[in-house]
Amino acid sequence: MNRGVRQLLEGKERFRSLFEHNPDLILFQDAAGVILDANPAFLEAVRRTRAEVLDRPFRDFLPPDKAPLFQEKLAEAFRGTKVVFEVSVQLLGAEPRVLHVTKVPLWVNGQIAGVHMIAQDITTEATSRAIIEQQAKRLHTVFESITDAFFLLDKHWTFSFINSEVERLLGLGREQLLGRIIWQVFKNEDLNQFYRQCRHAVATGQAVHFEAFFEPRQLWLEIKVFPSQEGLSVYFTDITDKVKAHEQLYRQNKDLQQFAYIVSHNLRAPLTNMLGLLDLLVAQAGNAPEYAPLLSHLQLSTQQLDTVLHDMNTILSIRDKQEVSEPEPVPLAEAVAQVVANLQDLLEQCGGQVYCAIAPGLCVRGNRAYLYSIFFNLLSNAIKYRSEHRPLRVDITAVAAVGPEPAVQVVVADNGSGFDAQKAGPDIFRLYKRFHTQPGGRGLGLYLVKTHVEAMGGHISVHSEVEVGTRFVLRLP
Amino acid sequence: MHTVLIDDDSTSIFLMRLLLQREEFADSITAFQSAQEALGYLQQAPPAHLPKVILLDLNMPVMNGWEFLEALQPAAPQVLSHTRIYILTSSLAQTDMTRAEQNPLVTRLIHKPLDKLELQLIRAEAEQEGGVGAM
Repeated sequence: MNRGVRQLLEGKERFRSLFEHNPDLILFQDAAGVILDANPAFLEAVRRTRAEVLDRPFRDFLPPDKAPLFQEKLAEAFRGTKVVFEVSVQLLGAEPRVLHVTKVPLWVNGQIAGVHMIAQDITTEATSRAIIEQQAKRLHTVFESITDAFFLLDKHWTFSFINSEVERLLGLGREQLLGRIIWQVFKNEDLNQFYRQCRHAVATGQAVHFEAFFEPRQLWLEIKVFPSQEGLSVYFTDITDKVKAHEQLYRQNKDLQQFAYIVSHNLRAPLTNMLGLLDLLVAQAGNAPEYAPLLSHLQLSTQQLDTVLHDMNTILSIRDKQEVSEPEPVPLAEAVAQVVANLQDLLEQCGGQVYCAIAPGLCVRGNRAYLYSIFFNLLSNAIKYRSEHRPLRVDITAVAAVGPEPAVQVVVADNGSGFDAQKAGPDIFRLYKRFHTQPGGRGLGLYLVKTHVEAMGGHISVHSEVEVGTRFVLRLP
Repeated sequence: MHTVLIDDDSTSIFLMRLLLQREEFADSITAFQSAQEALGYLQQAPPAHLPKVILLDLNMPVMNGWEFLEALQPAAPQVLSHTRIYILTSSLAQTDMTRAEQNPLVTRLIHKPLDKLELQLIRAEAEQEGGVGAM
């Protein structure tokens, strides 16, 4: 055998081996699309024998809607060019696949003898690519559909993503932001607070949440910054209306408070005269016994009026920030012990017992007088509304509460007469709301408790059952 | 004992007079409806005519109780050697209470209405030798 032939044969062998063992599906077709040769990978894919496939048009193995595409691409290859395309197709007898198809014309003596079709199964890649695209699209939809403005800053403070709300609120187009460093877009003084907060977020790895006035657009913004490996995710919303409404409300509230102060003071001046005059009149009533009951009723009414003014003053003083001292750590056990000591007489009279379980070192951040008032009111309520059927027992327990902020959870539970919590609902802490007809109360105590708790930045809730008892749960800073 | 009342409200003055007389608290009562007049009186009074007790209202027009105390400051050593000053007010504000506690001219703040018990206490305090300085 001469060398040329051997080379040809070796070439043929090599080609054959490539054909036979190729994992891609390979066909050799004529201009009409008839299959002249098919490799085992193809036979396996369509689950046919070689005999069943050869001399049949390839379109027999295609779903009708894909046949024209393959026919067109085949014709293109027969015009002498290599054709590449991707198609999602289910060949007859095969699984649905995404195929990367290459059609290569075979030239023999200057003519195209046929076309090799090599179809690579890229289903897995296509699927994952589709998932990624879908995710990106979904993410985009999410960021466009959230009402927050959202942008990403990379490690170099460059805008790498923005949604359209950012464009709207900042009054800048995408092209003015994307790919640009934040300092190039805005003036330093407009970014001061933002930068400080971001530095904090990066340094601590914790999200920051703050409100800031954005001078260039005259907007109050509520901003959340989340640090990550990539840089910073920034969400913000326009709260200008809210801030303005809040300011107005605050001003109005201040005015009203001032007004209430003036009214209560101006009312009290003549009232004290009446009280004094009545005192003298009552002392002289001995001279005219028929007036005695009239005077005593008048005196009672005047005193009631004075009580209302006292209450009003108490409430206004709590509300008035000027009269609120700076919060300080107050030892809880000590504050409670003081209240219990001051109520000892009343407790002994009714045979009541108070059990305290408070760690000695446990402190609450707040105002000592408020804390006293809170426990004084809760405990005197417990005494006032104790059950007639059993001796009063009050349990006061306190533990450090779990949560992001340091807090103390205090439970004050009694076995008293209770009240219908369902019926009372949110009214329980309201001013001048009363839930017992006996014995007398003004409906001020729980209102004060709640006001004090909230003035200290805490929270209070209550559970009660008639003739079982009442349980207050306080969360204090 | 000689008592000075300073209150712009005539009813309040009437009431205090009545109470002081009934309790035989004062043998002589001088009442002023203007703090400025009271100030003039106290600044010119010879020591023998200085009152033992001043009951001072806070909320008054032109010169209020606090302004009166400030204006009295230069004459304070002389006045205080004879006189105790009590603020008598219908105000329940904690700020007034705190301010009164911090003012060295003021013995105490009393909430209106004035009553018998309060008067007895004032009498006991005023009968101590030499007014505030001796405390």
